[in-house]
Amino acid sequence: MNLYVPILVLLLLGGGFAVVSAVAGSLMGPKRWNRAKVDSYECGIEPTPQPAGGGRFPVKYYITAMLFIIFDIEIIFLFPWAVAFDQMALFGLVEMVLFIVTVFVAYAYVWRRGGLEWD
Amino acid sequence: MGIEEKLPAGVLLTTVEGVVGYFRKASVWPATFGLACCAIEMMTTGGPVYDTGRFGMEVFRASPRQADLMIVAGRVSQKMAPVLRQIYDQMPEPKWVLSMGVCASSGGMFNNYAIVQGVDHVVPVDIYLPGCPPRPEMLLDAILKLHHKIQTSKLGVHKEQELEEQELTALESASTSEMKGLLR
Amino acid sequence: MTAAVMPLAAGELAAFGKDPWWIILIKAVAITVFLLVFTIFNVWFERRVVARMQHRVGPNVHGKFGLLQSLADGIKLSLKETIKPKGVDTILYVLAPIISAAMAFVAFSVIPLGPEVSIFGHRTPLQLTDLPVGVLFVLAAASLGIYGIVLGGWSSGSTYPLLGGLRSSAQMISYEVAMGLALVAVFLYSGSMSTSEIVGAQAGGSAVDIFGVTLQLPSWYGVVLLPSFLIYMIAMVGETNRAPFDLPEAEGELVAGFMTEYSSMKYLLFFLAEYVNMVTVSALATTMFLGGWRAPWPISLWAGANEGWWPLLWFLGKVLVFLFVFIWLRGTLPRMRYDQFMRLGWKILIPVALVWTVFVATARATLSAGYQRQFFFGIGAVVIVVLLLSFVYDAVAARREKAEEVEREEADQVEFDPFAGGYPVPPMPGQKVPGLEPAAVAVAAASAGAGSADSSGGAGAEGAGQQADSGEERGRG
Repeated sequence: MNLYVPILVLLLLGGGFAVVSAVAGSLMGPKRWNRAKVDSYECGIEPTPQPAGGGRFPVKYYITAMLFIIFDIEIIFLFPWAVAFDQMALFGLVEMVLFIVTVFVAYAYVWRRGGLEWD
Repeated sequence: MGIEEKLPAGVLLTTVEGVVGYFRKASVWPATFGLACCAIEMMTTGGPVYDTGRFGMEVFRASPRQADLMIVAGRVSQKMAPVLRQIYDQMPEPKWVLSMGVCASSGGMFNNYAIVQGVDHVVPVDIYLPGCPPRPEMLLDAILKLHHKIQTSKLGVHKEQELEEQELTALESASTSEMKGLLR
Repeated sequence: MTAAVMPLAAGELAAFGKDPWWIILIKAVAITVFLLVFTIFNVWFERRVVARMQHRVGPNVHGKFGLLQSLADGIKLSLKETIKPKGVDTILYVLAPIISAAMAFVAFSVIPLGPEVSIFGHRTPLQLTDLPVGVLFVLAAASLGIYGIVLGGWSSGSTYPLLGGLRSSAQMISYEVAMGLALVAVFLYSGSMSTSEIVGAQAGGSAVDIFGVTLQLPSWYGVVLLPSFLIYMIAMVGETNRAPFDLPEAEGELVAGFMTEYSSMKYLLFFLAEYVNMVTVSALATTMFLGGWRAPWPISLWAGANEGWWPLLWFLGKVLVFLFVFIWLRGTLPRMRYDQFMRLGWKILIPVALVWTVFVATARATLSAGYQRQFFFGIGAVVIVVLLLSFVYDAVAARREKAEEVEREEADQVEFDPFAGGYPVPPMPGQKVPGLEPAAVAVAAASAGAGSADSSGGAGAEGAGQQADSGEERGRG
């Protein structure tokens, strides 16, 4: 556990610096209120009203997030395998190639169905 | 009002004024905002020959939230005026306006119903720059004069005193109708 | 398996976790200050270098060589008014830049800066700490930093920041996949995920026996695993939202992306996070691929190069090279379109990285087991199979293309219908308007007649040419 203590110290320092500077930033500097200043910026025209929750956005982003989860899990599997690769030799290789091929099938399927298209 | 403006008058405030003025003048970020032909000269001023980057002014920020200086480069049409005002209002304090070119300063040759006759009808202007369009050297000169203005600007109590004095001078000076001879 | 690995890891990491509290504090403060100062330097460096690339001078008025420039930017920003627009989700809006900046700092904690040195008589490695999963920790901290960006974009309650935040998060997670895959090959070779051990593994080159000839391999993974290095380089630029992948803050489309509604100190924190992230990914690249703090070749001939405080200098030099590449890319390349960018990430980098990983694993497994001959025959067989497949593919593609061409020609032969679908439509290329043809022939004939009537040479030749043209047209019709 001793290995993780310095990380906590750095987190406290970095986070502390961020918090202190954010607070200091709001204390310093002049403040003059006007109605237009608190409107959101839309290139100088009157802002369009936003629905609660930030409005709608393309579903593509959800798909990207889900694909990311699939591939990230694959990578998480690959990391310990790579570290212990020399001890497992050919057995590990064959197992992992099978795993990668399985993921590749899913990848090819997503590609074929247009999941990776952006236009 | 920020902390730096609440200091009591004295050596401390004068020092802070100097330091703050220096850092503010050393980093004046203009808003990306070009209206007409003057904007071409403004872009040239940022280019290799004139290079406002020497003064740390090559950072043209697209969002007014991070900009300090609005260079009104070109004539302001009546339709553009509210947009210009909105962007000016959305810039955080302290902010400055440079009216570039004769059209922005007074309407210039566009003496007609479509053009605002001087951008000071819409926003407070800190420095006027004549020319149609002004050459980049003239814009650089205006920017340097603005830097001087930023450097010598007052804070807090000093600012209030300065405003009071300006008010007094304005009250005591003869009004335009009472002036005699050539007005110059 | 774990029993075999764990004692090794514990043995290697024995130098860590034994510092007294004041050493930890000194190191942590030093890293924080280093990152802040380095960011100030970095901004100045970038502006000067980009200016040079654009035939400009760059900041040189404020301070010697303009060195005060980025400090002035920082102090000016902290003295600006803080605006909180009315549509924002206050807590997240304030928290977002803090998360971004804090995570950027934390990611640097496992980067090795040098060997064991003596600080006030206490022997300690020049590295805050190290974990058995060090690199994974860096990736995790970088991922947490994405939260800052996406929350900042979402909580601003405005259109541009929302789109910028979404773009940024999609971009960063896409390139994180490629980045992680590029690192797998390094773990294969080093047999560890701890950063200090990866640096140690690059100390001496290994030897490979090919058909009785001993080859001395270079020790840097950037050379041994060049494709991994290149994929990592591309992914790290995408990961830090830098040009040519700076789509989240593309001024032409999204104003300033997720930072549009941020002013003053909160904007500064995002800015700081971006530059610290640049330093972190550069430092990680140095550690993983360029031998970390170990001296590069000509210097490494000097025996004392890898001892004491000197390695800090080599490390900084290598990081600066990466930072220069970042700036170079920014000064050279135009911004990519978003669909091009995503295509590069998902359709090129990921499959290439996967195939390369499998290749490296196969090579290592077969070579270390002593199957050199089989391995090279295997490579030959794969190459031949791939070539054959490409020939087959070409043949199939050519046949398909021919079929398509025939189909197109057949489509061209279809009679032109001037009122297809009930509207007057122009003819497609190759189609003829039936009513116009006799008139065209008549015009050609008339011009031919005029040509023969005129006896002057040039006009006559022109007329003859037209005649030939019209004859050809008539022949085709």
